[in-house]
Amino acid sequence: MSNSILPADYRYGFKKKENYVFKSRKGLDKKIVREISYYKNEPEWMREFRLQALDIFYGKKLPSWGGDLTGINFNDIYYYIKPVTDKAASWEELPKEIKDTYDAIGIPEAEKKYLGGVSAQYESEVVYKSIKKTLGDKGVVFLDMDSGLREYPELVREYFGSLIPPQDNKFSALNSAVWSGGSFIYVPKGVRVELPLQAYFRINAANMGQFERTLIIADEGSYVHYVEGCTAPVYTTDSLHSAVVEIFVKKGARVRYTTIQNWSQNVYNLVTKRMKVEADGFGEWIDGNIGSKLTMKYPSVYLMGKGARGEVLSVAYAGKNQHQDAGGKAVHFAPFTSSKITSKSVSAAGGRTSYRGLVQVFPSALKAKTKVVCDALIIDDASRSDTYPTMDIRHNDVKIEHEATVSKIGDDQLFYMNSRGLNKSDAEAMIVNGFIEPIVRELPLEYAVELNRLIQLEMKGSVG
Amino acid sequence: MKLLEIRQLEAYLEEKKILSDVNLEIFPAKIHCLMGPNGSGKSTLAQVLMGHPAYRQTKGKLLFMGHDLAGREADERARLGLFLAFQNPVSVPGVNVANLLRMAVRVKSNGQKKGKYNPALTLSSLNEEIFAVSRKLDMPREFLKRSLNEEFSGGEKKKLEMLQALVLAPKLAVFDEIDTGLDVDALKIVAEGINRLKKIGSGILLITHYQRITKYARPDYVHILSNGRIAASGGMELAEHVEKDGYRKWIGNS
Repeated sequence: MSNSILPADYRYGFKKKENYVFKSRKGLDKKIVREISYYKNEPEWMREFRLQALDIFYGKKLPSWGGDLTGINFNDIYYYIKPVTDKAASWEELPKEIKDTYDAIGIPEAEKKYLGGVSAQYESEVVYKSIKKTLGDKGVVFLDMDSGLREYPELVREYFGSLIPPQDNKFSALNSAVWSGGSFIYVPKGVRVELPLQAYFRINAANMGQFERTLIIADEGSYVHYVEGCTAPVYTTDSLHSAVVEIFVKKGARVRYTTIQNWSQNVYNLVTKRMKVEADGFGEWIDGNIGSKLTMKYPSVYLMGKGARGEVLSVAYAGKNQHQDAGGKAVHFAPFTSSKITSKSVSAAGGRTSYRGLVQVFPSALKAKTKVVCDALIIDDASRSDTYPTMDIRHNDVKIEHEATVSKIGDDQLFYMNSRGLNKSDAEAMIVNGFIEPIVRELPLEYAVELNRLIQLEMKGSVG
Repeated sequence: MKLLEIRQLEAYLEEKKILSDVNLEIFPAKIHCLMGPNGSGKSTLAQVLMGHPAYRQTKGKLLFMGHDLAGREADERARLGLFLAFQNPVSVPGVNVANLLRMAVRVKSNGQKKGKYNPALTLSSLNEEIFAVSRKLDMPREFLKRSLNEEFSGGEKKKLEMLQALVLAPKLAVFDEIDTGLDVDALKIVAEGINRLKKIGSGILLITHYQRITKYARPDYVHILSNGRIAASGGMELAEHVEKDGYRKWIGNS
């Protein structure tokens, strides 16, 4: 069986008829950026921010490290698509087609089970959103980014782009110029949001870039868990996903950000994610990457206050023609800060995974602690895994641990499982699921199930 | 009725001939004890039956319930109802026995013809079955969740093999030195497991060095394997002879 042919019942690979109100023409220039800003009815400062970012984007070169980005044709992408005129306030009001799409990825069930609030993004625009009254009563703000900008202009202006400025890298500049959608969350002092906040989105138009922008501010002593999952249909032409996520974890606050991504195999997934953690705060990234053609993603924690903690859990699966260049970054500025980066990667059927990590400890960060664990599992000889760990430690009063393992599935292990009736792909999928279990354990149940199932499907497709 | 028929089996590991001419018949609901000196080919026979890819069957026939096993992969043999309890089971990090058994039961029922699937075997009843069997084997519940054979003692590994045999209830269970490394309490528990399998109709090939286990799991037949062939077949008297005089009688006259 060919690797590119997914099983007929591959439920994440369907495609719905497109139904849009406004679609920008292909390509990128000042006029398009102005149009986006105009259609969103944005304040002038945001339009200027976008236009400046566009100049920065033009001025920056593609990164020379990481994966091969030369296949991206920036002029062959739609940068903005607006699917329906008004946002639907409830599930019933959604157009049938969008409901069908969501049904297929299981949104209503997800909502029934958990949700504090759903903000699901269809194309570039958040179309479905429901916030439980309790959240509002506590003063928690959970909006799509466009509404956030409209309703909380001062807050957005203060924080937006301050942690990941357009100058950071070519793709943060691109996102800053054409961003659309994403989430805006504010959790007031001392408020704990017990249920995870979730957002689903998917790309549903060929050649359509997805440039969502998320901003989370967790005020002192608050807690929030944000969960983002996305599945994408399969296409023949290249797609680009380039998001920016900025998170501010104030004194004693805790934020956990969970992502499971399963982009179709033609998507370039280039995301910049950063958390700024103040004294005694705790910021966590849980980041699962399946699918895409190339992913480059290194969620970062900037530990700015005394006793701040940061954790990155990253899991990546690369199948045929896929390159997952993922990892994490921890930067220690303050004393008694601690960080942990755990990476688990699986490469199969000629796929390639790279762990890329950076730990920086500045002279001001006395008694800092850091631990990096990266484990790679390689399924067959055609697949590949590399490790690029960088440690930049500027003083001696620091505790550093680094563990790295690379393993292959042994013939004896396969035979043992074969002898219990499992064929090669079932056995491999089980070993892979076991390998990533320490990270899956951290996911909300439905995501854990989905991740296991996705990997099983991937393994079946890759072995056959 | 024969469960397994081994006819003139010759098998190689790499360039070395290990089995030269094995003839053996195994019956359902019977315990066949296979004894023999070190290096006589006992474990090889177990591996060849299960279809280990490193061993080559070069001559003869393996007929399992009428199916010729030649050319069938291990997983297919397992789905036909063959089970091997390994002498030294490998560890599989991240996979626990409960998950493995759930998967094993699932693939087995998938392999059955439509309408033959046993709806009584739901996930929860399977879980109950796994717990019930583990209690009988005096295994702590947390064993079910630990990675397979990782940091298990020798005796615990053997119990884990027995647990799988009892839950999967194979047509033919091959135990490769399940009694090695067991204290007397564990030995009794494992022997009870063998007797239980016999009761539900499984054929059993019990490979052992010692007569010890036969006190608790009484064989119906005893076979002596020497120099890659069956040198003698009989009843308990053969095991008693081995206990008294060793294998001298059968060594060297190949």
